Amino acid sequence: MKMPPFKVLLPKSLDEALLMSQELSDSEEDFDWIAGGTDLLPNYKWHINVKSHVISLSSIPELRELSESHIGAMVSISELAEGASTHPVLAKAANSVASVLIRKSGTVGGNICLDTRCYWINQSETWRESIDWCHKCDCGTDADCRVIPNQNTLCVATYQADLAPVLMCLGAKIHLASPKGVRSLPLCEFFELDGMKRNILEKGELVTHLTIPEDSAEWHGDYQKLRQRDSWDFPEAGVAVLWRGGPSGGPESLRVATTGLESIPSLHSEEAKEALSRWRGAETVEDLAESIRKAVKPVQNTWFSPAYRRKMVKVLTKRACRGLLVI
Amino acid sequence: MAKEEEDGGTSGSGDEIIGYRQQPGKIPFSRPGSGGKNRFSETTDPEMIPSSQGGSLEQPWGPHKHDELVSGQIIGKPTALVDSSWKVTGRAHYGDDVRLPGELIGRIVRSPHHYARILSIDCSKALELPGVISIATGQDAKNRFGVLPVTKDEHAMAVEKVRHAGDLVACVAAIDEATAREAERLIEVEYEILEPIHDMRKGLEDSEEPIHDRGNYHIGESNIQKRVFQEFGDISGMSQKSVASHKKSWLFAGVNHGFTEPHAVVADWDPSGRLTLYTPQQVPHYLHRALADVLEIPMHQINVHRTFVGGGFGGKSDPFPHEMCAAILARKSGRPVRITFDREEVYWVNRGRHPSRIEMNLHADKEGRICGIETDALIDGGAFASFGHVTTYYNGVLHTAPYEIGAFHYTGARVWTNKPASGAMRGHGAVNSRCAVEVGLDDLAEDLGVDPITLRLANLLPPHSSTITGFRVTSIGMRECLERVKKESGWDKKFRKLPLGKGIGIGCGFFISGSGLPIHWDPNKFPHATVHLKVDMDGGVTVHTGAADIGQGSDTVVAQSVAEVLGLPLDMIRVKSRDSDTSPVDLGSYSSRVTFMNANAAISAAMQIRDELLDATVEITGAERRGLVIGDRRIFLKGDPAVGVSYLEALHKAQEDRGALVSSGAYRTPPMGRTHKGAAAGLAPAYSFSAYVAEVTVDVETGQTKVDKVWAAHDCGKALNPLAVKGQIIGSCHMGMGQVLSEEMRYSRNGNLLNPDLLDYKIPSVHEMPEVVPIIVESNDPEGPFGAKEAGEGPLLPILPAVCNAVYDAVGVRTSELPMTPEKVFKMIEKRCRSEGVADPTDLECPSLEHSDLQTILKKRSDEHKSRDRERRLDEERGDYYNGALFGLDPSTPPDEVDPRWEVRVTPDEEYLVSPRLAGSAWKHTERRHLEDVK
Repeated sequence: MKMPPFKVLLPKSLDEALLMSQELSDSEEDFDWIAGGTDLLPNYKWHINVKSHVISLSSIPELRELSESHIGAMVSISELAEGASTHPVLAKAANSVASVLIRKSGTVGGNICLDTRCYWINQSETWRESIDWCHKCDCGTDADCRVIPNQNTLCVATYQADLAPVLMCLGAKIHLASPKGVRSLPLCEFFELDGMKRNILEKGELVTHLTIPEDSAEWHGDYQKLRQRDSWDFPEAGVAVLWRGGPSGGPESLRVATTGLESIPSLHSEEAKEALSRWRGAETVEDLAESIRKAVKPVQNTWFSPAYRRKMVKVLTKRACRGLLVI
Repeated sequence: MAKEEEDGGTSGSGDEIIGYRQQPGKIPFSRPGSGGKNRFSETTDPEMIPSSQGGSLEQPWGPHKHDELVSGQIIGKPTALVDSSWKVTGRAHYGDDVRLPGELIGRIVRSPHHYARILSIDCSKALELPGVISIATGQDAKNRFGVLPVTKDEHAMAVEKVRHAGDLVACVAAIDEATAREAERLIEVEYEILEPIHDMRKGLEDSEEPIHDRGNYHIGESNIQKRVFQEFGDISGMSQKSVASHKKSWLFAGVNHGFTEPHAVVADWDPSGRLTLYTPQQVPHYLHRALADVLEIPMHQINVHRTFVGGGFGGKSDPFPHEMCAAILARKSGRPVRITFDREEVYWVNRGRHPSRIEMNLHADKEGRICGIETDALIDGGAFASFGHVTTYYNGVLHTAPYEIGAFHYTGARVWTNKPASGAMRGHGAVNSRCAVEVGLDDLAEDLGVDPITLRLANLLPPHSSTITGFRVTSIGMRECLERVKKESGWDKKFRKLPLGKGIGIGCGFFISGSGLPIHWDPNKFPHATVHLKVDMDGGVTVHTGAADIGQGSDTVVAQSVAEVLGLPLDMIRVKSRDSDTSPVDLGSYSSRVTFMNANAAISAAMQIRDELLDATVEITGAERRGLVIGDRRIFLKGDPAVGVSYLEALHKAQEDRGALVSSGAYRTPPMGRTHKGAAAGLAPAYSFSAYVAEVTVDVETGQTKVDKVWAAHDCGKALNPLAVKGQIIGSCHMGMGQVLSEEMRYSRNGNLLNPDLLDYKIPSVHEMPEVVPIIVESNDPEGPFGAKEAGEGPLLPILPAVCNAVYDAVGVRTSELPMTPEKVFKMIEKRCRSEGVADPTDLECPSLEHSDLQTILKKRSDEHKSRDRERRLDEERGDYYNGALFGLDPSTPPDEVDPRWEVRVTPDEEYLVSPRLAGSAWKHTERRHLEDVK
């Protein structure tokens, strides 16, 4: 399958990259940032939202920095997984991404910004023509959503990346840069509940790095992932649970986040707060898991059915909490 | 130098020989030797020579007619496939690797609609696009084709209607892919959309616009492409005698072959007006015929060149429309045209296993005999017939063995729907219904309170018997397969004794070793396989065969057979199997026929050369011909090995005054089978048998199933190449595991195929693959080449039921849907929890088994049968054995000839049609040609 032609720009520094983006915007040329390309290029091959230019971030050294508190956007997922200072739960999530080959190319920034997925969009052009196109695809067709027809406002494609829930639980901050300047915000405020828009990135803006709070070593927990096969497959559901404080007497702080269930990953603060407020060990874990199950609203656009994914969210939450119950 | 010669003379051929090394591949050659003082000739290893010929190779299953041809070279040795070095060095050229000067790229315009009438096609804009050379539509080739002559229902491109999303509408050749794709978009097609059918059950009903029209032979106004009704044995007594019954309605999703190489074809018309078509094909000969029909040129103007095939599994065994398109475009353009598929096009052309609804009823009597099997199979053929005529029969007849049964009732129907066409896939037609039978037997065993392996062992047909449908079965290694897996898996210590979530299960298989009837001609006139040999001065043997090596190793097996008979090392055999111009006709690589038929043809060709070499030896040495044997490149007196000549000496003597020796050998199946309608379906010169035990872990909270280990015993008659047989067994396990656990062609509510890609079509990864212990059982088939039978398809069958039965052992739930994804297993666990009032699935109890008195009876019977079988297989004078003897009938006569209750019926009576089963309801329609009679 052939990709449509596009021009690749190869900036050597962040400033140069931003300058290029500014120039493209000025000349009203459309473009995509490309990091590892493991998500973007298959979509290009399918002729999904293809742009005339891509700006590659692969030659910008400053985006590759990796330390305990700083993760550059261009750090590869396998570098993160194997990094000596990587939080163990983050390493586990990173290690569960796709396959060895994809982890070598795929990047942290790319994983955070992963495009949403759906049976009705991740298909060839001929295929999409057979369903009279899809809402998410920029075909100028005004097509309806094929998952939930007749609503035509919101794209419900699913966010299926593994790193976000763990990073959210760690309290990571995301740092963005654009020709207008830089800004930073908590990762959990980065996403926007719309399968097309996906996040708050403005045109010409990119993710430069993430920072992890200094107290990350005090946080323990687990990441649990549901999928058909132990390789390749995107998460059909993913649950990260992190806590501070020992098992006996319950946790001092608790954070739960999910992925693979909606158009964005979600940090379930209310549910975690509720559980903390009256901690009774296994019973609370059961209630917490049930409340997470109720909180998520998957739709029928991935391999497993929404009903099963919701039930499994409960099981995964309980499993991720196992460390809380060991005495 | 002298020392080196001495070394070379005493050590094996693995040693380096200076001056005889190929550079840069560094593969040591074996030079044809020069007689008694020959340093290259190896002493024959007595371990390789059968005991019937005075060697020390044991023959527990008796001697074989090919024993005297054994020279101790290569048969039975684990051997790397002869083309493996081409593949691992990247020198093998597959379909898309063919590059001809001036080539154009072809693309196919496909229908976006499931079912529509084509009103108009406007190519004018596309033709104006610079770089577009030619465009073709259905109007360019109106002749129908299809792999089976009785059901030709395909066109190169849609002539009147498109029948599934992805069906071919037009094709375009341009200077490059980008231009061709652009042209694709510019071709304007106007459609009138018709009401599509996606549910196979709807195909049974009358329709306003049937997907195909078969004229007088059309069945009502329905979409039924083929229907079968068969009754054998004592149907009326079946339920009356039954003390335990199993009933289950199955739903099997369609699966695709998932081979590595997408279809690709290059068509080239040469200046003399001949077409050469380069294509990875399993059945070049059927393609050859179809091309002649569609292009309206004689067959002798076409050369079908089979490229290396990157996996077939049945998915490259039809003549394909895109092959016609390439030829048509190349003809129009006057330049070579290459078409390569995207993966999704592979799914659209499909020919994978049929989505099926199978209702399986089994009955056992008080003596633990299988007194009845009632099968109803509705199979979803998709838009075209393909091999479906045969598949409809195979879903029934291929589970009438290895067990002796009291009655067999089968109703089958195949319907057209607006989906990509189903066809033949590894284990053709036998896989789904076999799974249903074997799961049923597990259930019956539980009902009867007996061990499921014992139940099977006490109901096996003996060797050299006839099945209830009249198949002639020769060698049977079923009992040994069962005994081996039982022992090696530690069955008795594990079955019904493992903790919750851990389980073990058994499944068996039975498959044809070569379809007895060729598709295209009268078997009494033409052979199934022909092999030509040419041996010139150099001593190397050129083998010409049309057998299609699709990665299964057919080139290797034919080379091995010739090498063995002529006493030559493998590197002296070169196989030319690619071009129909030079290869004698072979029917192709399907129905597991190649080893059996082609190796037999090769042996027969090699025997003629062997005779000539022996005659020449007699002439040179004056030795008595009867005492001569062939060893490694040397022909000598068995009693006095010093008397003899080298292979080359004998060869050159034989070539005096005539030059190269040539010979032709052929194979034809013996006459067999019965005469009722459909009797030929499932006939084969031999059958393979297999038994697998699978051990699984099921996560009771998520339903995720992991297969931990498989013990896989397969009776392939004789492993000509044990390495290849093991590879087939392991590969079959992987493929079958995909179907049982995760693979399915999933359609949306609107009938769109949702997962035409390898990310969403879930082929198991290396993480899912269990350890497989391949166990080879050699039952020495009397008619197989050196005793061999198939090993390519049969080994797939048992893995499905073995896993299903193991899951039951682990969590006490039985699936009736495949694939049993975690989601489905979890649903069943939930259901069981609800019905037993258990809140937490981890509190469920495992199934348990307490033996009833029947266990002892069955054990005794199986022991008796074991000695019966042993006697039969060694006794040349054995009498006939017809299915029915276990039920007290005379084994020497077909039961329907002596007992009116065993009458064979192939059409339903009116009583049946009052309340037919699902597929059986196909018989409610009347064929159009009989409509007048009805009125």
